[in-house]
Amino acid sequence: MLEAILIGAVRGGTSMVFATVGETVCERSGVINLGVEGSMLAGALTAYAVGIETGSPWLGALAAVVAGLLLSMVHAFMVIRRRANQIATGLAVTFLGLGATSLFGQGYVSQGVKAFTTHAVPGLSDLPFLGPILFDHDPLTYLSFGVAPAAWWFLYRTGLGLRIRAAGENPEVLETMGTSSERVRWIAVAVGGGLAGLGGAQLATAFARTWSEDMIAGRGFIAVALVIFAGWNPLVTVAGAYLFSGAVAFQLELQARGAEVSIFLLDAIPYIAVLAVLAGMSGRRRHAAPEALNAVFDAGTQPA
Amino acid sequence: MTDVLELAAEPEAREVEPLERRDARSVVPGRRPIPGLRTLGSVAGAFLVFGLLLVANGTDVIEAYQAMWNSVTRDANSFGDVLVRMTPYLFAALAVVVPARAGLFNIGGEGQLLIGAIGAVAMANAVEPSLSRTPTLVLMAVGAMAAAAAWAGLAVALRHTTGTNETISTLLSNYLAFLLMGWLVFGRWKDPGATGFPRSRILNADERLPLLWGRVHIGIIVAVVTAMLVWAILRWTPWGFRLGVLGGNPEAARRAGLRSGRLAASALMVGGALAGLGGMLQVTGVEGQLRPSLMTGYGFTGVLAAWMVRHHPVKAIGSAGLLAAIAVGGNGLKIRAGLSSGSVNILMALLLLAVLGWGSRPTAGAR
Repeated sequence: MLEAILIGAVRGGTSMVFATVGETVCERSGVINLGVEGSMLAGALTAYAVGIETGSPWLGALAAVVAGLLLSMVHAFMVIRRRANQIATGLAVTFLGLGATSLFGQGYVSQGVKAFTTHAVPGLSDLPFLGPILFDHDPLTYLSFGVAPAAWWFLYRTGLGLRIRAAGENPEVLETMGTSSERVRWIAVAVGGGLAGLGGAQLATAFARTWSEDMIAGRGFIAVALVIFAGWNPLVTVAGAYLFSGAVAFQLELQARGAEVSIFLLDAIPYIAVLAVLAGMSGRRRHAAPEALNAVFDAGTQPA
Repeated sequence: MTDVLELAAEPEAREVEPLERRDARSVVPGRRPIPGLRTLGSVAGAFLVFGLLLVANGTDVIEAYQAMWNSVTRDANSFGDVLVRMTPYLFAALAVVVPARAGLFNIGGEGQLLIGAIGAVAMANAVEPSLSRTPTLVLMAVGAMAAAAAWAGLAVALRHTTGTNETISTLLSNYLAFLLMGWLVFGRWKDPGATGFPRSRILNADERLPLLWGRVHIGIIVAVVTAMLVWAILRWTPWGFRLGVLGGNPEAARRAGLRSGRLAASALMVGGALAGLGGMLQVTGVEGQLRPSLMTGYGFTGVLAAWMVRHHPVKAIGSAGLLAAIAVGGNGLKIRAGLSSGSVNILMALLLLAVLGWGSRPTAGAR
């Protein structure tokens, strides 16, 4: 049973791994983007449509990155250039993605796509237990294994990563050093949007292998919550994404075994798990919030 | 060190302008041209961009807008549909407006509407069937508001005990409310006579709102009056004043000895109660029974409506009405122009973006 749950966690969690890691980079620069949900939708439809038109899921995934990125540029423009409220803008961007994919995706509902196929890694996939969990997946899932370490390396070991973190912690210092914090934030938001688009692509062309309106169904919003849950650490973020999808897989497994509990209560497990972990989070992690992000959430009414 | 999870909303939620300052604006000489022009321009811009997207989709724009317009203005019933849809939107907007005054961001309206509907039906199940219509409906409204306030109270409790940010907890609570609704209508509240999709029992006549005409129920009157009441309360009561202080300058509020925790809690719970009332009106005025996909998206649309008017309760009547007209127009778009009705989400999003980026408040621009 544990094996089935873990396989389900990896399969179902991959799209959220991409989205959460991207949102981590974005938030590290001091921009929170609730439009991730919209970028994932844009990525899902684009991957699906391009996959159908060209017959290549890889071109679809590439186009999905571009689509997710372009939609996130709306967010970047609004919050960086127009100084609009980040939460409200993000929500509007998600509505934009919802509407645009509804409009342009109408013709693609219930069409068949040439989906990504699973490729077992020779040798490794025969390992007991770990083999089927880690080494029998579609190519995007293998890619997702690398994305969090890559993001960590990018944020902590490259100059641009340092600038992104600086933009999130102390933009004035960055400006003093002659770097535009705005430009850095544009890049960070773009990374977030592109990865969210890739996550959507994985969902539509590798996991669900179908397109339907609003198919992201809140995964992008959950991704934003998971970034906070992970204390803005890209490596921990992955654990959050798998915990969430693992909880989903757990309740599916319970259902399959005919547990005498309502499926709706089981469905609630992942959300309660995230809330519980958020609530129980240690102070150390909470204080990891980028300062500029604090300014976004600032103003307030501390609990007495 | 400040802390993102303990602290509340947004700098701009803080910049919710006190109503007084809005009036003083006309005093500024010269630079401010005709009032409302910016708003009008924003709205026109949104319709223009949506039109361009329709062209990109190969749609006849004139025909599409005509279809939307006709489905809203055809007759008293189609206009009535706008009023009916506007009612839950307005309550969902007010559920954002009140906490925003205290600097809090409630995006749990979606769930609070559902909990209100559940609370109303729970109350109807509990009271004597012999009770006449008015007391029954009043009790249902009370049940709805109490349930939704308590639901929002969960976010308050989390914030209070563990410092979990209410933006995130109210967002997640939407999914829990949706699942609770599913649990009830697929389980213990399932109507044994329901064919097809599971629903709760059909409310009897004494549990339904009186109708004004066609499908239009009295909820729209309740909604408009409530919006004005919220405005008056925020403006003229000590509680409303304290919320404004807390939202405007939390440090000043603390120094003035305001009990910020309790105030914030009250704002969020009142917001929840308002959404709950909206849910009750929808289930007693329109639906007549509970079903799983009740009011999907209404809560988020309410957030849009609230931000479009920068959390002004009376102006929210206008924004909720506009969004309701667009939503109803979306049905026309589907029937007459063959487009998916979800397309109008684009238009709603563009309207909010236009107001956020180019609306009445002069933006600081690039720093």
